[in-house]
Amino acid sequence: MNSVLMGVLVSAISAGTVIILAALGELLAERSGVQNLGLEGIIAMGAVTAILAESRIAPNPYIGLLIAILVGLILGAVFAFATVTFKANQVLCGLGMAFLGNGLSAKLGTSISGLPAPSTFETIRIPLLAEIPFIGNLLFNQSLLVYLAYFVFPPLVYFLLYQTRHGMHVRAVGDNPATADVCGIPVNKIRFIYTCVGGAFAGMSGAYITLAYTPSWVEGIAGGRGWIAIALVIFGAWKPLPVVFGALLFGGVTSLGFVGQLQDWAIPSAYLSMLPYLSTIALMIFPVLLKGKNLRRISASPAGLGQPYLREG
Amino acid sequence: MKNFSVFSFNFPWKIQRRQSVPVWLNVLVRLLAVLLAFLVVGFFLKLGGINLFSLLQKAFKQILGNFYGVQQAIILATPLLMTGLSVALCMRMSLWNIGAEGQFLIGAFMATGVALNFNGPLPVMLVIIFLAGALGGLLWTLVPALVRTFWNVNEIITTLLLNFVAVFLVNYFAIGPWRDKTAPTLSATPRLPYELPTFGDTYLHIGIIIPIIAAILLALAFKSTKLGYEIRIIGTNRRVAEFAGMPVRERMLLVMLLSGAIAGIGGMIEVTGTVHRLSGLLSNNYGFLGIIVAALANGSPIAVIFTSILLALLLNAGIVLQAQGLSVNTVIAINGVILIFAAIGESITHYHLVRIEVPQKSVEANAQVLESECPGLPEKQVQYIKTESGK
Repeated sequence: MNSVLMGVLVSAISAGTVIILAALGELLAERSGVQNLGLEGIIAMGAVTAILAESRIAPNPYIGLLIAILVGLILGAVFAFATVTFKANQVLCGLGMAFLGNGLSAKLGTSISGLPAPSTFETIRIPLLAEIPFIGNLLFNQSLLVYLAYFVFPPLVYFLLYQTRHGMHVRAVGDNPATADVCGIPVNKIRFIYTCVGGAFAGMSGAYITLAYTPSWVEGIAGGRGWIAIALVIFGAWKPLPVVFGALLFGGVTSLGFVGQLQDWAIPSAYLSMLPYLSTIALMIFPVLLKGKNLRRISASPAGLGQPYLREG
Repeated sequence: MKNFSVFSFNFPWKIQRRQSVPVWLNVLVRLLAVLLAFLVVGFFLKLGGINLFSLLQKAFKQILGNFYGVQQAIILATPLLMTGLSVALCMRMSLWNIGAEGQFLIGAFMATGVALNFNGPLPVMLVIIFLAGALGGLLWTLVPALVRTFWNVNEIITTLLLNFVAVFLVNYFAIGPWRDKTAPTLSATPRLPYELPTFGDTYLHIGIIIPIIAAILLALAFKSTKLGYEIRIIGTNRRVAEFAGMPVRERMLLVMLLSGAIAGIGGMIEVTGTVHRLSGLLSNNYGFLGIIVAALANGSPIAVIFTSILLALLLNAGIVLQAQGLSVNTVIAINGVILIFAAIGESITHYHLVRIEVPQKSVEANAQVLESECPGLPEKQVQYIKTESGK
């Protein structure tokens, strides 16, 4: 039993990493008022370009990571160009970006489909901390992106959003762009930058999939993780720490499926594969049930989310 | 002294939101979006050594050159029309049904379940199968519709995530309990014992008429019923609808469930009319392409007929030219670009430049205004303002 629990935890941490990276980027973009529904496509593109970069440029995971971040940044910029500069409908553009990313990544990846990644992220063992029994090996013998996703980015995003003047500006832009504009905050510039940052995070998440989580590329590898990340941002009420918690929960449910398959549980694996999606839907509904009629939790969404801002005079 | 600006230079144009966008502009912008998307994708494919336009020309010759190709295009347009209508209906109410893919699959799933497990005379069975398909699509939207209506839970994500669940469910049944034991390589159910009758010697089945009837009915409903009017008002401004005493929640629930039922019927038509066997691959991204169909049609049911044909041609081109480097994935990528351009185009049409009318006043007139409004201003200051305002 102990080994089952251990297996669940190990794979929960990696499954959660993918989601945390994408969700934190999306959180920043959404806090500035831009909902990027194209996350799924950007993750797919990050995943395919990371592994392509390894096989074409050099078999070094960090080069793959860098290229994936760059690609994510560029796709984020394309999305921002459409929605922030041209004020286009964010839902339509997001879906367009999801199609574009899914289609293009499948097209680009045909030559490397199913092949193992040339090299993957090595684990970095943190001395001393890794010696802690049980959790030490679990938490402190991981690859770089896992440390970044769990220990570096969430506090960083929290600090940026809540402890700095700039973060206050970002939140102001997301909540009430017109007022922010009057105060002299460059609304569209901030939105553009954070949409690009969101894209870069999604690219990173894609790179983690193909270079560490399941080190190879197949079509449809993103498997809805982009959408789940967006759902978890909603579950986490647009706050970084609950998002991490939600991602871990999601990771746990996902790995339950894997473990169930390995242990030959009597449930068909198709049902176990549905679990992550169903539980994400449950996670989206859960906060509402908890608070009942008190709709505070729902209205935690940035008030200006999804609405383009144009100064009209 | 409204436009009395002394130091700043005013750009004499400003951007303003239009009250309404003319239809021709809407059509023009969408055509331009499609064209631009092709140019952009064509440019990138050219870098990769593929000439998109000569390929497409070849494909269209192959598709439209003979009756078989035309039949194929019509048959492909049918599911697109159903999912397009499903999305368009929600779009009218400012709701997003991204789950047409799943509802389509579950519609087909329910239809298959009924067809494989019950016996009866063909016409009766077809009616029951039709209802089962509709019910499947409806049930698949039930949870998203309820939580959206009563708890305001984002319907985009819930409907989308259910697509994945639907694929797993259908796949499980198609290769598990319902698998055709006589042809195990197919990974699909046995051929359904009931199928939609075809027209004479062609592949065209009566299922292609259903979406056209549905489109006309929806258009009529929007145009001339109370329900259609309410849907339009709720879609434009929910608060106004609430103040007017419209049953907003009931209508939202109704529209989402109906939208799911339409997509479910699409799946039922596909499985009983065209494919005849249920498999996880039944839906060729029809649900997702339906979003593009609806977006290009701007939510108008009649326009959906035309945009679905356009997308069917495109999708068919991708299927026909699989060997020559074009693929369904390329078509999906092109569709993504089309959608982004269409969204940009739509946004641009909502604004226009208006010239700001600045009453041109002479220096003397300004001086008069100044003297009448601020009597007793020192001579030196008056002189200064006079010279500055003349600049």
